[in-house]
Amino acid sequence: MLKMHKVRKSFRTDTIETHALRDFNLEVKEGEFIAVTGPSGSGKTTFLNIAGLLEAHSGGQYLLDGDDVSGLNDRQRSRLRNEKIGFIFQGFNLIPDLNLFDNIDVPLRYRGFKASERRRRIDKVLQQVGLAARAKYLPSQLSGGQQQRIAIARALAGEPRFLLADEPTGNLDSLMARQVMELLELVNDWGTTIVMVTHDPDLARRAERNIQIVDGQVADLEYHANPAALSA
Amino acid sequence: MFGYYIALALRSLRTTPILSALMVAAIAVGVGAAMTTLTLNYMMSRNALAHKDDVLYAVQLDNWAPDRGWQSPNEMPWEINYKDAISLLHSDIPTYQVAMHRWGGPLSREDSELRPYSAEARVTSRDFFALFDVPFIYGGSWSSDADSNPVYQIVLSQQTNEKLFNGENSVGRTVNFNGAPFTVVGVTEYWQPSPKVHDLNNGNFKKSAEVFLPFGLHRSFEIYSWGNTNGWKGEVIDSYETHLGSEYVWIQYWVQLDSAQQLEDYRDYLTGFIRQQKAQGRFPRPLKFGLSRPSQWLQLNEVVEDDDYMLNWLSLAFLLVCLVNAVALLLAKFLRKASEAGVRRALGANRRAIFTQHLVESGCIGLAGGLVGIFLTTATLALMRQLQMGALDSVAAMDWLMMSAAIGLAILSSLLAGLYPAWRISRTNPSIYLKTQ
Repeated sequence: MLKMHKVRKSFRTDTIETHALRDFNLEVKEGEFIAVTGPSGSGKTTFLNIAGLLEAHSGGQYLLDGDDVSGLNDRQRSRLRNEKIGFIFQGFNLIPDLNLFDNIDVPLRYRGFKASERRRRIDKVLQQVGLAARAKYLPSQLSGGQQQRIAIARALAGEPRFLLADEPTGNLDSLMARQVMELLELVNDWGTTIVMVTHDPDLARRAERNIQIVDGQVADLEYHANPAALSA
Repeated sequence: MFGYYIALALRSLRTTPILSALMVAAIAVGVGAAMTTLTLNYMMSRNALAHKDDVLYAVQLDNWAPDRGWQSPNEMPWEINYKDAISLLHSDIPTYQVAMHRWGGPLSREDSELRPYSAEARVTSRDFFALFDVPFIYGGSWSSDADSNPVYQIVLSQQTNEKLFNGENSVGRTVNFNGAPFTVVGVTEYWQPSPKVHDLNNGNFKKSAEVFLPFGLHRSFEIYSWGNTNGWKGEVIDSYETHLGSEYVWIQYWVQLDSAQQLEDYRDYLTGFIRQQKAQGRFPRPLKFGLSRPSQWLQLNEVVEDDDYMLNWLSLAFLLVCLVNAVALLLAKFLRKASEAGVRRALGANRRAIFTQHLVESGCIGLAGGLVGIFLTTATLALMRQLQMGALDSVAAMDWLMMSAAIGLAILSSLLAGLYPAWRISRTNPSIYLKTQ
């Protein structure tokens, strides 16, 4: 599904060059649920941005679904992002002046679906996250947990094979965090590959596999044979 | 997607009403100022005789002082003298030819309670109506002998006919002009060329004549021109006959030459005429005459002056200043919504889509600015008409072309203003905003 080999990412100012990722190697298989942990500034978000094609890597090889994405232009990267990748953010990132329906509609518009198909998909994901009755609500009329569920619905509407979540429960209380986590596990059960960045070790343990990033490199790998048992 | 971008633009404008209003106002004021001056210049520079531009010619004869030319661009007087006009009228080369000048006097209807009023008149040879394509509602021109004999016939303009006869067919009825009875032989349709190409010596944009009188009436009424009369010889005018026989220039002369052969023949005719006059001791300057088409005549007479063109550039410069303001406001608005652009990028929008979305928003602002700009232009022109008390009625008005131009200018301006902000927002790294939102 995702394979990074000796991926590098550096940021350069006039005087300083900072290496956010160095010889970063990682392979994520279809259907996996991976938690990415690491101290602040270790390169977790940079990894997520590169994995999500929001930023280009400086060197190395990144294969998404077997295709090298290094030489793709903006239009091709955007199309891949739209078709194969879903994003969930810590701050939800819903567009405040669009209602829930229209928020979920955004990626489908760029996909070029007809109105009937968009409506079908939006209705479906709203049902899945349990907020079908609130399609015309504005994000500000929802609780944090509900907003994150809408963000997940938006990410799922395009039926991506790969979900990237950056601290998806970071702004939620424990109850809502658990509900969101359960939803993500459900989505993973449907077959969607999930890579989740988190600071929360309890949430990380619920993932199938943990990777820790330190100083821009994968420092440790931990497999959980039965994540459900750990979370119990 | 275009419809989607329009919907997003309208939603965006609604969410920031004050900022949006400021941008619309910036563009509207710039467009309003630019379109006001452009409209005036456009209307002033129109050629009301464009449809006959290839066959009509204003005639000039260089019979001015031997030591200096006339103060026009081609150094020839705009008008000719009476005796030359009478001579030229004898030529059978032109299809039509007109000798004419401005006049006026009290006009009334005998059996009416309407008080006599001062009417603007044009004393002209009969071809005037055919040459300038002046349409008739009733009747027609006077008989041909009226060009050389005193025939008391008159043609009324539509407005005059409405005033005197309530618009009824007045052919055969009598009106009093300058104390004498005239028989109405025709009523012209509304005819108001603007600029008044046929008479640029008496106010380029003033109203056309209210009545038309035959050229053969000069001696009967001892008619002097109500326009310019110029001379260079210092002649003593002690009688009307002396005036008619003098070198004073006061007659406007036009010919219609439908073919190249006619034009060539008429050139030869004028050359021969001037040579003949030179032989009699007249026309002291080198042989020279002018045959100017209406478009050339407008340029020669500098209907649109250099100052007007300068004003055009100044108004466009003002529009540019307004656009710079609009750019700053657009940039502020777009950057405020950079996080939304970041989200859209993450959800699959490419840079071009973000750029187009924001450019469409700029276009919508421009459209609104254009509509308000048209309103401002119309209001300014109305105010000018009011202040000028009718002198600018025919030019201080927008036609559909200028309205379309105003909308086009506004949209183009706003698109230009939106280019940089839209480009900036489309180049923004989305990951910055996704983390910080």
